[in-house]
Amino acid sequence: MEIIFNTGHYSKRQTKRPAITTNEGPETKYVQIVCDVYTNPDSTYPISIMPYKFDISQYGEKERSSLEFNVKNLSDQDLDMTLVDMPAGMFKITLPKKIKAGQTGKGKIELLKDQIKKEFEKSVTFQVNDKLNSRFTVPVKRTIRIPGANPTDTTTAKK
Amino acid sequence: MRKLTSLLLLLASLLGAFAVAAAEPKLTIPETVFDFGFVPQNAKVSHIFWMHSTGTDSLKIVKVSPG
Repeated sequence: MEIIFNTGHYSKRQTKRPAITTNEGPETKYVQIVCDVYTNPDSTYPISIMPYKFDISQYGEKERSSLEFNVKNLSDQDLDMTLVDMPAGMFKITLPKKIKAGQTGKGKIELLKDQIKKEFEKSVTFQVNDKLNSRFTVPVKRTIRIPGANPTDTTTAKK
Repeated sequence: MRKLTSLLLLLASLLGAFAVAAAEPKLTIPETVFDFGFVPQNAKVSHIFWMHSTGTDSLKIVKVSPG
């Protein structure tokens, strides 16, 4: 079950708890998502990811299937970055192995071949090894606008 | 002999009834909480929660209400 959360104009700590009713019985089951919505892209700590939204849209004939991003370590300790969550079978993500204090590392997100003709809005979640094991979720969006052509498929419910 | 056959038939029907009564759907969600961490405003983020049908009868999801 995919839970999609639109952060809209929310700010600070948010918790959502969708309820699931089944034929199991009267008891309702829940899943829960938690996030810290930030308003200023420069305000995150201990890292700052730029761009803070990954837009791999393609406007025109020239194929665009990847995006490079920078990760700035704002803390005073070296940090390792790991991938926590991403949709299966859509991307290949390369992360900087270790980012020294105050330094910037480079990462890359590449679409897998069968995603190139699709439009979608998904997200990827990273974690760094600071004291809090801080997490960062970056939205990933792809729109295709080619004059005289339409995308062959979409994975979102935009119709 | 007739008595034995009747007894066996009764036993079989009782076992069958018990099996039907014992068939129950069950939903198991291994991960129920997901922390996105920092998320920008005006963005859509998503996560997939796996749901397993671990009962003895078919599981039907009747309703999902946003939290």
